[in-house]
Amino acid sequence: MGSSVVGAEATALISRIHEETSWSLGRRVRHAFVSVVARAYPRVIGAAREPSWLFFDLVFPILGMCSIVFLLRSRGVDEAWIASTILATALLSFWISVVWMMGAQFHWERDSGNLLLYITAPVGLGAIALGMAIGGALGVVIRAVIITVAGVLLFGAKYQVADPFLLALVILAGVAAMYSLGVCLSSVFLISGREADHLGSLLNEPMQLLGGVYAPVRSMGTVGVVALGILPLAPAIDALRQVAVPQLAQTGILPVGVELVILLVMTIVFGVIGRMLLAHIERVGRAGGKLLARAD
Amino acid sequence: MPISAGSAPEVRPFGPLRGGAADAARSLVASARLAWAIEGNWAQPVYLAAFLIVRPLAFLGLFLAVLSIGGSLDVATIGFVVVGQAVFQIVSAALEGPTHALLDDRERYRTIRYIFATPSSLLPVSIGRSLVKASIAGFSALIVIGAGVLLGVPMRAGGPDLVLLVLVLPLGLLSVVGLGIVLGGICVQLRNDAWSYPEAVSSTVFLLCGAIFPLEVLPGPVQGISAALPITWWIEGLRRALLGTTSPGILGAMPTNELLLILAAGTAVIWLISPRLFVAGINRAREKGQLDRNTAS
Repeated sequence: MGSSVVGAEATALISRIHEETSWSLGRRVRHAFVSVVARAYPRVIGAAREPSWLFFDLVFPILGMCSIVFLLRSRGVDEAWIASTILATALLSFWISVVWMMGAQFHWERDSGNLLLYITAPVGLGAIALGMAIGGALGVVIRAVIITVAGVLLFGAKYQVADPFLLALVILAGVAAMYSLGVCLSSVFLISGREADHLGSLLNEPMQLLGGVYAPVRSMGTVGVVALGILPLAPAIDALRQVAVPQLAQTGILPVGVELVILLVMTIVFGVIGRMLLAHIERVGRAGGKLLARAD
Repeated sequence: MPISAGSAPEVRPFGPLRGGAADAARSLVASARLAWAIEGNWAQPVYLAAFLIVRPLAFLGLFLAVLSIGGSLDVATIGFVVVGQAVFQIVSAALEGPTHALLDDRERYRTIRYIFATPSSLLPVSIGRSLVKASIAGFSALIVIGAGVLLGVPMRAGGPDLVLLVLVLPLGLLSVVGLGIVLGGICVQLRNDAWSYPEAVSSTVFLLCGAIFPLEVLPGPVQGISAALPITWWIEGLRRALLGTTSPGILGAMPTNELLLILAAGTAVIWLISPRLFVAGINRAREKGQLDRNTAS
């Protein structure tokens, strides 16, 4: 039997427990910030330490880009579409990161045993997800730049950016909306079993088609227009095409300003929904004892 | 059973290729059944079917949407892309299948040590797994071709050329599976990114084999590499059997009997080399301690 704590000692202990567990808003914010930075760190620094990851992150998109460019050249289309394809491939590298490094990440962490560490650490899954998003986006920027430069060198694409600030804003809004959706996807993947890999595959080519990544979303008819309102890829690439390749501005579905607003709304809505979904799945998973159960 | 004096026990050499043809056949059937259990039961049949339908159709839609940028599409162009895209579903599955099977067993299910310890040979086990993946992809290929028919692609008058189909289909499949097992023997020796190499090879082959665009679009020296790939001629052979027409350019200039000869010669060379490379790869992986390694990749 251990010795019991009574009197003033007990009061001091209770007050210390209160102090350490009832954090002020400022402390909670600081703690969340540190958690976000800690989770973002390996995404940026760790990824740079493994050159083979960079190699494969570049090889797959560039091969896909080459296929589309050769397909376009076989039809003798305007070279502006080649420039658009290169931009689309660079944007897709963010989407692929969203699907596999945001959406599927908690699923993989669970199967490899790391989710146990996240759950037992004094950090919310929301802060971890935000850290993954910020770190992931920063890590992909360098890949997107390399893909664009490679595309320009290989195929001689030309861009005319009249407003670099608007271009940066479109990219930022598109990336933010995509990673916000990634937080929602991470909850879906977390409750997935062996179908998670297949789910990831379904979020690639079908979404590229619906998002009008390589061909204008107009060619998808009503479905494409609906995609503009729910799939960040669609307004992001449409706006990017209008801003960076003026020859294709007439193919835009909506004005760039409207698409920026859509992306901003998506960022907020998906972020809130994702946060709620993660909290719900964590709560239900803990109660049911299935949160840490391996898929296979 | 006790070994009596004078009756020598059967000697079964230890390694990835051992036993007789009957043993190999048993291993192949068992691994095919296992592969079906793995590949076919991850979801309810309706979801599985939806997955097998949605992704290849999305791929096809993506290419057709890109092609439509250049103006209205003629049915011959759609037919070229439809058959190329459909057949490449199988190519991709058969190329990546052996590596994924070996890595799944090594890293995910951690059973490769047990397979290696049984009288089964890894070679027929890998082939069996690959063939099932290719068969499932074959279902997706049929869906893509069906979609092409709905889009108005004119198929060969009087139905497919069955003689050509019967000759081309197994030859091409064998050549792709042969390349797949070579890839498996190489990738199982790797520690990092072993999962990524088959996909990289598959994506490169997709670019080179004229699946969705004529070879003439590729830079000159690359066209030579494309022409050396049996997969290029497999896809062209299947186009001729299904559509009854030849493709434009270099592919269409080759007479069908010469195409068959090239495909047969390529397949023979691949199967002359691939089992040896596979066995050497597995043995080397075993010596390096990579056969039972979990890279957490």
